[in-house]
Amino acid sequence: MSDFAPAGDPVIPDYGQASDCVINNGAFCTDWFISQWSTVFWPPLISHIVMVAIAVSIGFVIAFCAGLLAYRKKWLAGPIGIAATFLYTLPPLALFQLLVPFTGLSLLTVEIALVCFTLVIIFQAVLVGLSGVPDDVRRAATGMGLDRNQLLFKVELPLALPSIVSGVRIATVLTVSIATIAAFVVDDGLGSPIIKAVSSPFNTQFIGAGALAVLLAFALDGLLVLLGRVLTPWTKARS
Amino acid sequence: MTQHSTGTSITFDRATKTYPGAAAPALDALDLEVEAGELVCLVGPSGGGKTTALQLVNRLVDLTSGDIRIGDRSITDQSAIELRRTIGYAIQQSGLFPHYTVADNIATVPVILGWNKERIRARTAELLELVGLSPVETWLPRYPAQLSGGQQQRVGIARALAADPPVMLMDEPFGALDPITRVAVQDEFLAIHRAVAKTTLFVTHDIDEAIKMADRIAILKPGGKLAQFGTPAEVLSNPADDFVAEFLGAERGLKRLALTTVGEIVTGSSDRVGAGAETAGWPDVEATMTLREALSVVSAAQAEGAIVHAGGSRLGEVSLHDLIAPPTAGEDREGVRA
Ligand SMILES: Nc1ncnc2c1ncn2[C@@H]1O[C@H](COP(=O)(O)OP(=O)(O)OP(=O)(O)O)[C@@H](O)[C@H]1O
Ligand SMILES: [Mg+2]
Repeated sequence: MSDFAPAGDPVIPDYGQASDCVINNGAFCTDWFISQWSTVFWPPLISHIVMVAIAVSIGFVIAFCAGLLAYRKKWLAGPIGIAATFLYTLPPLALFQLLVPFTGLSLLTVEIALVCFTLVIIFQAVLVGLSGVPDDVRRAATGMGLDRNQLLFKVELPLALPSIVSGVRIATVLTVSIATIAAFVVDDGLGSPIIKAVSSPFNTQFIGAGALAVLLAFALDGLLVLLGRVLTPWTKARS
Repeated sequence: MTQHSTGTSITFDRATKTYPGAAAPALDALDLEVEAGELVCLVGPSGGGKTTALQLVNRLVDLTSGDIRIGDRSITDQSAIELRRTIGYAIQQSGLFPHYTVADNIATVPVILGWNKERIRARTAELLELVGLSPVETWLPRYPAQLSGGQQQRVGIARALAADPPVMLMDEPFGALDPITRVAVQDEFLAIHRAVAKTTLFVTHDIDEAIKMADRIAILKPGGKLAQFGTPAEVLSNPADDFVAEFLGAERGLKRLALTTVGEIVTGSSDRVGAGAETAGWPDVEATMTLREALSVVSAAQAEGAIVHAGGSRLGEVSLHDLIAPPTAGEDREGVRA
């Protein structure tokens, strides 16, 4: 979607039969938003959610395994951390540009880039969570005869959960935001109506889609907070 | 009450640990025999190798040389994991799993050992009763964060006892408790120890705790060398060297008096000629008081002795001389215990 229209007079949809708000390109026309919901907003919202879900899931699996590996083999923590940080520092648009020659203007290109940005956050969260398990707890567990895997699955990972969940929260919110620029590569996600409306420029469309992205970030964050509470019941047990 | 396994002896045979990169051993050729069912306190200055000695037994630390046997069996004869499951382990700050309820914490080793649910449930309830946390329903579903420090230590002890191990290792288990809670948990643990007779190696910084709890005390000095090993009375009356004497402190004589109760040395009134006149103004003490406590009472009353009572009736009296130079103070301690 690189066909930026030159900024000029706004391109008003349905000119002639639209409401005053739409004709005057008001900041936000509720009637238009509602009437166009099912065609302009709903499909990009769904594809945005799918894009984010895929990226965070894959990013989680990779970063989680890398985190476990770095925890078990301490010398790997440095190199993995540097590699993940490097991917994180790449400007997203530049990364798209780099990938397109290989993977084309495809969802694959988008997902590869998005996954890259989640890695360092989740990796660090896993590592910090595991390293934060109190020594006396680990010593007691080992002293009672838990083997390495029992120690990991019964003690270390559960205690690392709060940190891991907060890492996934940050990664998710970040991905919701970065995924809007995926519209430069594919006609998917909330970035698509935003880019079209910015170049038009038609206010209701980009404000509506932008607001949806913000709300989506809050909603996913809230869901993850709830998930975290369910997974870590002991953290709210304070007498 | 389920059947308890009786304790098994622990033998340190020139057990030595030198940590990698350290110039001198942290524990230097320790020879120590802890008899079955005995409670031995390891005391000594910070860095003296107490924790090292304890962790050698359950192989959290590997021996550099020498051997340790539990019963007749060297600890290196079996896998470290198997070995640890037969040893109860309790540490300072309890080391409870914050994400497990009290019930799950206590059930940790039984679950690993594959006990069935009913057996685990019964054992957990029995142990909570044993450590004085009843009614058990109140405590089972709580998380450690919902317990006081003393309650956490009690659960930690219950957890260590869960699979009925013949041997218990305890590393300053009461170190973080306030003095009053500490005394209560000590008393409870002593009662448990008398009931279940686990061979117990108990590390403490606190010489008074050791004197109170131990059948025998092992004193380590800097460099991880054994300075003295003996009953509290032996150690207090005959310190092996200046280090031990200094470690026991200037109040060593008074501490020794804390080993004997007034009831053990009281003489009947009839033994004493002219008792009536002589004992006028003497304060009353209970037979269960230690000589040290009674001496304090006598001193406060500026008297020459005290009248001893038990359960409301007069047993007799003790003179100041009896108190400070008791005929049998602290001797035959194991006889007293039994
Ligand atoms: N894991 C380790 N690596 C290297 N040195 C260690 C290690 N653990 C202990 N040491 C050293 O071994 C010596 C004995 O330590 P240890 O922990 O056994 O002493 P301690 O008597 O338990 O002391 P404290 O009363 O302070 O707990 C100390 O000098 C300590 O620095
Ligand atoms: Mg120690």
